[in-house]
Amino acid sequence: MALAADIQGGPSGPPSDRPRTVGRRQLSDTQAAWLLLAPLLIFFGVSVVFPVIETIRLSFYDIRGLAPARFDGWGNYSTLFSDPNFLRSLRVTLVWAISATVFSVAIGWGLAMLCALDPRRTLVFRIMIFAAYGVSEAVSGFMWLGIYRPDYGLLNGILEGVGLSGLTQPWLGNPSTALGAVIVAYVWTQVGLPLMTCFASIQSIPKNLFEAAYIDGAKPASVMRHIIAPLSMPGVRVAIFINLLNSLKAFDLIFMLTGGGPVRSTETVGFFMYRESMLNFKLGYGAASTVILLIAVLVVSIPLILKRTADAR
Amino acid sequence: MIGRTPPWILPLVGLIALVWIVPIVGLVVTSLRPISEVILGWWSLDEFTLTLDAWIVVWDKYPLAYAFWISCKIAIISTVIPMLLAPAAAYAFHFLKFRFRRLLLILIINAFVLPNQVVIIPLFRLWRDLGMIDNIWSVIIPFAGLSFAWAVFLVKNYLEDFPTELIEAAQIDACGPLARFFYIVLPNALTPIAAVGILQFMWTWNGLLLPVVFLRDELPLPALLARIQGVYDRNWDQVAVAAIITTIVPLIVFVVFQRFFTAGAQTRTGGKE
Repeated sequence: MALAADIQGGPSGPPSDRPRTVGRRQLSDTQAAWLLLAPLLIFFGVSVVFPVIETIRLSFYDIRGLAPARFDGWGNYSTLFSDPNFLRSLRVTLVWAISATVFSVAIGWGLAMLCALDPRRTLVFRIMIFAAYGVSEAVSGFMWLGIYRPDYGLLNGILEGVGLSGLTQPWLGNPSTALGAVIVAYVWTQVGLPLMTCFASIQSIPKNLFEAAYIDGAKPASVMRHIIAPLSMPGVRVAIFINLLNSLKAFDLIFMLTGGGPVRSTETVGFFMYRESMLNFKLGYGAASTVILLIAVLVVSIPLILKRTADAR
Repeated sequence: MIGRTPPWILPLVGLIALVWIVPIVGLVVTSLRPISEVILGWWSLDEFTLTLDAWIVVWDKYPLAYAFWISCKIAIISTVIPMLLAPAAAYAFHFLKFRFRRLLLILIINAFVLPNQVVIIPLFRLWRDLGMIDNIWSVIIPFAGLSFAWAVFLVKNYLEDFPTELIEAAQIDACGPLARFFYIVLPNALTPIAAVGILQFMWTWNGLLLPVVFLRDELPLPALLARIQGVYDRNWDQVAVAAIITTIVPLIVFVVFQRFFTAGAQTRTGGKE
């Protein structure tokens, strides 16, 4: 509200009060900029700058619960890389991120190309698939629990129904199927996004390209291969980046479905840091694993960061 | 319409879409059938009764109404903050000259890559020292702070096409930098501001990690759902009601404003709309 005083000299005042030359008390650009930015910078400082620096600092300390922090050098990191649980979480993250991204984008892209052939009549179907992306991950987790339940879960029910009862099992309780099961549920939530970004890309392809191709006698299959597929790449690229970044950070669905188990077979690095810091109270150790996660995320986003930095004028 | 549409497209896509919403249908059906039937599978047809029992008893069973209120408070406050501050910052970055402008801009818009996990340990220690654990501001502050990366980017992108003539004309009329923001830019930037609000509302309403870590009793809906489905495993019908209540508001917002999400997703990664 302090701003109101400065604005009074502006165009809101009566015209007679408004001198042609800048005579009234007016903020310079610099002052105004800092005034407008200050509240944002406070939030940003507390919840971005401070946490990043502090996480890196704490990763060099040994902190257990409320005990005083003890400087430990690279101790946390050397423990991390000899901790089979962490190494497994690295592997799980890799499998999770790559398969979730490949499947989400492939399915979404495929559906987008099909939908683009008849955009008007597939609108309802697109919204149905996209809606899954709008469901809270916590709620998706609950839905998929109902599908994977060993007793009367939908999946086992279907398998028994089609006479494959030999395949029924506790999907989330079996360490060899749990990760795959969670990934399927995750892909279900994510496909809507690549569907929409790819669809938008296809829609922006100039229509005369198609006309020209058809006049030249091209078949729908070759139109798809030579026009739609290459020209929808911008949407595919966006989808790949979003899916990769999101899946590296994934937490909610794992928390709901398996809590990282059984025997930590679904524990990603993002979940490992939660377990070590919030359940086992090893804050320094958790911080070190967060730093590794941070490095992974930064590496994946280098192209985006470079592009944003170059575009920032 | 791209050329001739093969006749199998519509049934195929329709079938996939139907399979896709099976989990959602299952959730709704589960909430409407008595537990004795749900326990045999929500799709079983041996007996079929529809009842609103779960919808009635659930309110006494779990603190759903309270969690709904907490969710509203957290989502609305964490949404309003970036809706106010991101346009101000985007204006400053785009139209004003000051030292460190480019450095700050690059820092802020690239922070979008940061995972939520990065705030957990430092803020957990900070909130604990300040006695702010279980205070909704412990969640709102990082929700707001982490939003600026994409929110500023989204509004600034929009301002790049803003007619500079308007700004110059106001400047000639002795309009100061603040007045130019409040009277010229702000009223004409309501589209990206609305997009920021819708996206942020969804993400903060659905957020699970930060509430689980920083809140104990003041739980918003997703965190409450996570807790009750762990504790009361058997009341599937009632947990289903809780799940529907958790997701109904964001789902409606989402379906109504779906085009904002594609746009928002692209600004999150740097593609331009």
